[in-house]
Amino acid sequence: MKGKIIKWIDQRFPLTSFVKSELTGYPTPRNLSYWWNFGFLAGFVLVLQIATGIFLAMHYKADISLSFDSIQHIMRDVNYGWLLRYMHSTGASAFFLVIYIHMARTLYYGSYRAPRELMWWTGQGLLLLLMATAFMGYLLPWGQMSFWGATVITNLFRATPYFGDQIVIWLRGDYTVGDATLTRFFALHYLFPFLIIAGVVVHLVALHTVRSSNPSGIDLADKDNIPFHPYFTSKDFYGLGVFLIVYSIFVFYFPNLLIEPANNIPANPLQTPTHIVPEWYFLPFYAILRSVPNLVGGVVAMALSVMVFSFMPYLDRSRIPGGAQYRPWYRAMFYFFVIDMMVLGYVGYVPPTDESIVAGQIATFFYFALFTSLPLISKKEEQWLVKRGLPPAVEALIAGEAREKGKLPYRRRKGDIS
Amino acid sequence: MKKLFVLLALGCFSAPILASEAKLENIQVDTGLPAIKRGANTLMDVCHGCHTLKYISYRNLTSLGIDKKKIDEWRGDLPLDSSLTGLMSDDAAMDSFGKLPPDLSLMAKARDGEENYVYSYLVGYYVTPEGVTGNHIFPETKMPDPLGISDTTDAAKRSEIQGTARDVVSFLVWAADPHEQERHRMGHYVIVYLFILTALLYGVKKQIWSRLK
Repeated sequence: MKGKIIKWIDQRFPLTSFVKSELTGYPTPRNLSYWWNFGFLAGFVLVLQIATGIFLAMHYKADISLSFDSIQHIMRDVNYGWLLRYMHSTGASAFFLVIYIHMARTLYYGSYRAPRELMWWTGQGLLLLLMATAFMGYLLPWGQMSFWGATVITNLFRATPYFGDQIVIWLRGDYTVGDATLTRFFALHYLFPFLIIAGVVVHLVALHTVRSSNPSGIDLADKDNIPFHPYFTSKDFYGLGVFLIVYSIFVFYFPNLLIEPANNIPANPLQTPTHIVPEWYFLPFYAILRSVPNLVGGVVAMALSVMVFSFMPYLDRSRIPGGAQYRPWYRAMFYFFVIDMMVLGYVGYVPPTDESIVAGQIATFFYFALFTSLPLISKKEEQWLVKRGLPPAVEALIAGEAREKGKLPYRRRKGDIS
Repeated sequence: MKKLFVLLALGCFSAPILASEAKLENIQVDTGLPAIKRGANTLMDVCHGCHTLKYISYRNLTSLGIDKKKIDEWRGDLPLDSSLTGLMSDDAAMDSFGKLPPDLSLMAKARDGEENYVYSYLVGYYVTPEGVTGNHIFPETKMPDPLGISDTTDAAKRSEIQGTARDVVSFLVWAADPHEQERHRMGHYVIVYLFILTALLYGVKKQIWSRLK
């Protein structure tokens, strides 16, 4: 009976062949490390956020006179409402953590390089959508930090030439952040996750065209690819278990750690909090914004700091395979970048003082210096590595895989190492 | 080298930033029912005169296990589902203090330092040699010293007041998140379950990957 139904469907829709080629039999490099688990985890958290969000929306009221109370209604009176809400608020942080690790893996292993530019760019688009969704969701509890965060960020659009003031009013739906802002942010906070799903589909179609990158940095021959199921399903589920343990520790024991105390005070447009801070995942970019003394300059610097990742396929001129592990200069830059991000995050968190502003400016300078110096450094590093000779392990790998496939493993350009 | 410089710079700069914050006394909150009940008594006698707790109803106090007779005494003619609305009208509060006393439902989560802030604030009252009462934690406060710690010099009396303040904090911590203990209990089961599940998933993964040569 089951076979008959499947056959009936297969005559009308490529069910069996699709599942076989894209899911169960999908060829995956066998040498993927656990750093390759985070794409799957991001997809899981997306589903988790949508599932908890839909149930929260059933009890939430998007009205400035009711929204704060409705959150407390969810926290106190709705059956397991506290669990839904804490899963959702912790889930937002988990989402950014997973995505930042996913991006760091891509940067470390050079997975953004040809032919995976479109994966990197669709990922960049997804990051922007995620940031917008998180920002709008943060207004919904209508606490002090919600209100003032939204006020500060929407105010940044004043930097737009000619239409600045009009755009701010258009975004807010009013002269100040108010009821009109809350209702539109709620509507869009519900819409954007579905746009993210569409973006993820594009991301995955691109992935299945170019196939997964892998730690060696060269495309492996067929014999080194293994079917996704059961190898990577089992590996992904084990990773999911570890993720859920960490996530549950936060949900059940420290759910308030990442909620600013000021957001437990209802929004009050007449009283500015002493210190407005965004959520942790925006802190480095917020620090860059504050490091530039002029509004337009700050906004441009902040926008660039997020968008500069897109240029990575062109900024990195090196053709040495294998990402950072075979490239000592690039590896140093990668770790320096991670530390610089943390410094920026810290500077974004503390109240601005003369010293923290200077530290932020130094860190901002290094942030952009790393990206702008990369074309030169990566080129020089390549020459240096070629002169020195690649590590024997890489040479052997390249030769072995090339023999296997009967062609050179990476795109040939003029001046390539032969 | 650059790394080192930024780190060093930050190390130097971070100290004065942190030092400017008011010193709070860290306390271990007693989450036991007796402490919460004692805190509820003090709160209804002292705080509820002016402060509201709009997210807590008399019924919530009943289900917490507080004596029904006492609750009937507190609520008077109000229905059991009425929230703790305070005994002072907004106009009277504006006349006396020039501002409305804040709602206390979320107070234990609404200030930097959370429960430690509330405790330090309650016991932070002092009298200057000129006879003016002030508060170390919140100097602009309009609230008169509620527990009378500022003019108490006897050590035993002071520690008794500190005990009362702890009880009030216990109650406020419960009020700010009444499901906290249920959450912790459920968390134990969830974590144990996930550890077993993850160990099994690891075994499955290992077994499947062992097929690869």
